Amino acid sequence: MTVEKIAVTAEIQRFDPACDKAPRFETFQVTGLANMRVLDVIRSIYENQAGDLAYQFACRIGRCGTCAVRVNGVSVLACQERCKPHMRIQPLKPFPVLRDLVVDRTEIEGRLEQLKLAPLRTTEHPSMPEPIAPKLAEELCHMDSCLLCMVCVSACPAVEERPFDGPAFMLKLRHMAKHPQDTRNRLDQAVEHGMLECFNCDVCTQVCPADLSPAQAIREFRKELMFGGKRPLQGRPG
Amino acid sequence: MSQGLTLPRNTTQQAEKPLHGNIARWLHRITGMVIVLFVLVHVVAQTILHVPAFAAVKADMPWLPTVQSQHWVHALLYFSIVFHTLYGLKLLASETGIRMGYRASLWSNVALSALVGLREVLRYAGI
Amino acid sequence: MTIPPEVLVERVDVLIAGSGAAGMRAAIAAHDAGAGTVVMLAKGPRRANHTRMSGGRYNVVTGLNPNDSNDAFFADTIESGVGINNYELTRILVDEALERLYDLEEYGLAWDRTDVTKYYMSMTGGGTYVRTIGSVDEGIGITEVMLHQMHVRGIRICDFHMLVDAIKDDSGRVVGGLVLDLSKGVWRYFECSALVIATGGTSQVYETNSGPTINTGDGIAIAMRAGAELVDIEFMQFIPISFVYPPSARGYTLTEPAHYGKRHFDPKAEAAHLLNNKGERFVLKHDPIRKEGSTRDILARAIMLEILEGRGTPEGGVLMIPDSDVFEAYLKERPIYVKRLLENYGEAQARLEAPIQVMPSALYTLGGVRIDAWCRTSVPGLLASGEAAGGVHGANRLGGSSMSDIQVFGQRAGLAAAEDARAGGNVPGAGLERARERAAELTKPLLASSGVRPPEIKKRLQKLMWDHVGLVRSGPKLEETLRAFRDTRKHVLPTIKVTDKARVLNREWMESIELENILDIGEAMAAASIQRQETRGAFYRTDFPELDPQWTANLWVNRDGRSLKVEKRPVQTSIGPQPAGPKHKAALTLGEV
Repeated sequence: MTVEKIAVTAEIQRFDPACDKAPRFETFQVTGLANMRVLDVIRSIYENQAGDLAYQFACRIGRCGTCAVRVNGVSVLACQERCKPHMRIQPLKPFPVLRDLVVDRTEIEGRLEQLKLAPLRTTEHPSMPEPIAPKLAEELCHMDSCLLCMVCVSACPAVEERPFDGPAFMLKLRHMAKHPQDTRNRLDQAVEHGMLECFNCDVCTQVCPADLSPAQAIREFRKELMFGGKRPLQGRPG
Repeated sequence: MSQGLTLPRNTTQQAEKPLHGNIARWLHRITGMVIVLFVLVHVVAQTILHVPAFAAVKADMPWLPTVQSQHWVHALLYFSIVFHTLYGLKLLASETGIRMGYRASLWSNVALSALVGLREVLRYAGI
Repeated sequence: MTIPPEVLVERVDVLIAGSGAAGMRAAIAAHDAGAGTVVMLAKGPRRANHTRMSGGRYNVVTGLNPNDSNDAFFADTIESGVGINNYELTRILVDEALERLYDLEEYGLAWDRTDVTKYYMSMTGGGTYVRTIGSVDEGIGITEVMLHQMHVRGIRICDFHMLVDAIKDDSGRVVGGLVLDLSKGVWRYFECSALVIATGGTSQVYETNSGPTINTGDGIAIAMRAGAELVDIEFMQFIPISFVYPPSARGYTLTEPAHYGKRHFDPKAEAAHLLNNKGERFVLKHDPIRKEGSTRDILARAIMLEILEGRGTPEGGVLMIPDSDVFEAYLKERPIYVKRLLENYGEAQARLEAPIQVMPSALYTLGGVRIDAWCRTSVPGLLASGEAAGGVHGANRLGGSSMSDIQVFGQRAGLAAAEDARAGGNVPGAGLERARERAAELTKPLLASSGVRPPEIKKRLQKLMWDHVGLVRSGPKLEETLRAFRDTRKHVLPTIKVTDKARVLNREWMESIELENILDIGEAMAAASIQRQETRGAFYRTDFPELDPQWTANLWVNRDGRSLKVEKRPVQTSIGPQPAGPKHKAALTLGEV
């Protein structure tokens, strides 16, 4: 199980905006352990066959979220996705490509900055453990384990077709909406950033490498929109 | 021993599985188009068949009365109506706070719609 | 005749290299203290750092455990550090951890709780009392809340900006940082009043490691080249248990055996047993009292020796037998780890019902740049904080103390940097010539037409480090390795060629620059290791396997031009009176306390 080998054919999208007119694919053969991940294949290609391949990774264990790519059309984390005998590896869409498999995250970070995803507090910290129900604390932390890897945004059909920022941003807004110390109107922000365009298809839920459901966050926002709910400065739990 | 506790998902084979949401979305779109197309065809066909002013057109189309009673047309139509309605209801319900799994709801919807469609085929076959 | 590369110049007040929690906390503190322009450099995307990957366990005395106290935490840290910690820094860590904990809460992090105001606490290997706090989102949560705090303050973050050197003016003061913007392949020179090195540790200089790929010890090497001393650089912490497979996960920490047994909650209970391929509990011969609940250094050494002596599994590990009774609590507390166990090993292992294969791995740089209580190095204008700095943890670190360290000393570095920024006084353009020279030197591999590729050399060095300057060291092997490093520097480094001529995201170019840093670190570690003739904490020599009280001392490594000076210094045990605010003299010269 842990020592079997596999031979893999990988087609990697190459594109240097500085000198290429259009993206092209280069095919490589790699042999390695059968339990290799896609990242292991890419690293092997860089180390042995294509020293000019541009790719990104850091933690290689599914936490930094920076290695996200598309494999056979599906957005995944390269370090987590198991290798397959035939793979077509491309950068995430719809982001601009810096080179080969690396995308430019300037717009993403700009959007995150715009959303101001830190709790807007109206009270000082009490300099002792701040009261919060254990269950709520756990829920908040689960939502805050979103990697902002953009796998869901890349896979989302509504992002492709409509003016919608993407599932990840909605999830982060929902996280803030649930935070007892936040007083900003996160529902308004969500609507402004295209929340209503969501198709409610749950593709994001399926592809999320952190087991989160941005679609559920959106459904909660919609429920709040239709039926009302906790609004800033009104009846927030202490 | 701990079988009662659910483990987190194993998300290392994401690119090998079909994306249920895409299947659901396309089925909803196609069934929606089928319904719209049927209504259009139905209105035109009924007009030609029953409005006296179109008798001449009707004479030119002897095959028209049987078009709507093809068993596969019925099956397709009924499948589409059931699927599209149930999926639409699922979308609405999920936004009121009712939680349901996207896999279970898709496949049970498809199964139910297929049963209704199948019933039409059997009805036409005399069963 | 080559044209010198263009260097884009910019002037900022505080330049922070490193996007982990220490760097971010310094940025926030500097900004809030009115430092003016604060810029944080991230070598890759900003979320690529060691804090992100960590378990986010935070050691602190909150008062919830009536048996615990700041003095006990201090005593535990000194004991774990085998008495060579910088007592002053350790005391600061212990005393300020609570305030910094509350800061993170204020930033939006919800620590796990058993009740509305009662934090959930657990044990880590080696401590005496239960005091470790955490949150289920681990290092992900800590880095995210801090990033968003930086966003609301409008602090500029530069991704793909690799700090390459600290540039000094004629008086020996650091006046700027030379940076390679990897996203465009251009050189940038940031003139600054204070440069904070928060670039993390040196885990990547080892073949099997638990850190992110970018942690090649760049900042530590840069500080050494700028003239700052390194302290305790021979001490490297190896996590005793980490994943053995798949290849991408190899070396990633599995925390410690304490977490897989009832010792997780009760310091008197058992940790998960460790067995070799004969089924023997080999740890008992190393620590019969604490057994598998021992400190990381003893456990890591025990496992490494078993593997080296041929009693490991075919894949190169040993077996950990977890206690499935703790599964429910473990799933609730560390769901991300359970997920990784499931994905890498299988369902039975994830449920803690089957043996889990483990191996030691390079985790944490115990030593680093020598700093004073305000993170200042002996070079004016240069500060260091976090894993890149040394002295807080001594010969071995308690699990959970790094999270507190980076918050406490991150804040201090930020405050001190802000003070330096307010003092100002740098002449514009002072280091520009030197920056240009260095940029030209480092652009050479990109222009070379033949030579050796960096990845091969990097692997060779990583293997040498793992084999001879790792868990198990000895005089002859250290000398041999030091010679190999010197040889590589003299004969191989000048022949490095970068096959990739693209400017954007040139990984080979980045690695060619890393090679010098890896060599600098490797040489410093090997040279200091040769001097220390004993075994203490994480430092183990087969030719000197006993603790030697004469060596209750620190080794300071200093680069003087091309030669390394290694000096034995007494441990700083005096804890000076702490000034009320960050008013502190600008430089700490050699020998001064």
